[in-house]
Amino acid sequence: MLPSRQNDTLSKMFYRFMRWWMRRNFKEINIQPFEPMPGHSILLLTNHFSWWDGFFANYAAFNNLKRRLFIMMQHDHFVNHWYFKYLGAFSMKKESREMLESLSYSANLLNNPENLVAIFPQGELCSNHITHIHIEKGIERLIKQIKGPCQIVYQCTLIDYFESLKPRAYMHHFDCGVAGEVPFEELKQRVNDFHQQALKNQVNIEH
Amino acid sequence: MISPKKNRLVHWFFHRYLLWIVGRNFHEVRLAQTSAIANNKAILLLANHFSWWDGFLMYYVNHKLLHKKFHIMILEETIRQVSFFKYMGAFSVNKNSRDMIASLNYAAGLLNDPKNMVLIFPQGKLYSNFVDQVTFQKGLMKIITRAQQNFDLLFAATFVENFKYKKPTANVYLKTITGNLAYKSMDELTAAYQQHYNSTKQLQTEIVL
Repeated sequence: MLPSRQNDTLSKMFYRFMRWWMRRNFKEINIQPFEPMPGHSILLLTNHFSWWDGFFANYAAFNNLKRRLFIMMQHDHFVNHWYFKYLGAFSMKKESREMLESLSYSANLLNNPENLVAIFPQGELCSNHITHIHIEKGIERLIKQIKGPCQIVYQCTLIDYFESLKPRAYMHHFDCGVAGEVPFEELKQRVNDFHQQALKNQVNIEH
Repeated sequence: MISPKKNRLVHWFFHRYLLWIVGRNFHEVRLAQTSAIANNKAILLLANHFSWWDGFLMYYVNHKLLHKKFHIMILEETIRQVSFFKYMGAFSVNKNSRDMIASLNYAAGLLNDPKNMVLIFPQGKLYSNFVDQVTFQKGLMKIITRAQQNFDLLFAATFVENFKYKKPTANVYLKTITGNLAYKSMDELTAAYQQHYNSTKQLQTEIVL
């Protein structure tokens, strides 16, 4: 496993650059109102449907959730894009012993209430239109190892257009409870309920 | 009612322009047909309406697949805002006015010529791309009964998706319905479209990379 060498200055510069770039590529990046719990680190579970997802997580972490971003990346992608390690990325090799290392590394990061770890629980790219979010078992192991107070947040990003030629990204955040207090089966259920809720909110969204 | 105008130069320019912006803004426009499209009749194309792109994407579909004379029913206020639409085969409709009958008759008239295709967004306004239930407005049935059997119905359901690319991919699922008088009422027609919409959405969600 390759750890992150996160650097606050570089992260901030990167965020500023990405904000400019995303606002150029999207008509709007709309974060639905959400307040994270004060004094808690955040485990951000987010749907994985596009090339942009990591940047969406980065955007939300800086803009709304106000935490230092760390993000779990597939090992081969991490090697190809080595510079992401300065921006909070760390590697994860699926189906290997190293995976356990990555999980405890993430749990360790989450002991600091200033941190946020973004994870794609589906483990693969899925359609933006799916109605069921699969959550890999590793998440259970990760949550069990967290010692500090940590809030689990589900982020559902949906792309819609309406009256514009550029896409609009809508981010819906939901509080899934505090790590250690929610059994894994219950967490899975909550994430899926919240996903349904996000789809419903999206259909009724004002534009 | 504002009817389409002819101007070969303007048409040529915006034809190139529309195809260019579709190519530039999408990684790919993926066309999926479930049945062959017959070419001996006019086509009434019904599509879901979730963005400004819908009309342009259907223009692209027509260019690639149908090779007919493109016509599209657009709200009067929009056609007034974007003046070039009328040179690309757009005609206006004004909801809740007597003028609407004229628009519906005009659309039905177009369907008598096998060289034509008419695109209608039966939802009547913009909805999210994530809607489960597609609702149709009433006027459509008038066009279908008035035009009798001279045309084929074509359903289009479009879903936008990114996957591993920066630019989105538009997935357009097409299905031809022959013998359109099978639909005697609006409910039957809506149900048939809904079924196409649901099954293609299912196909779309099964894609995993």
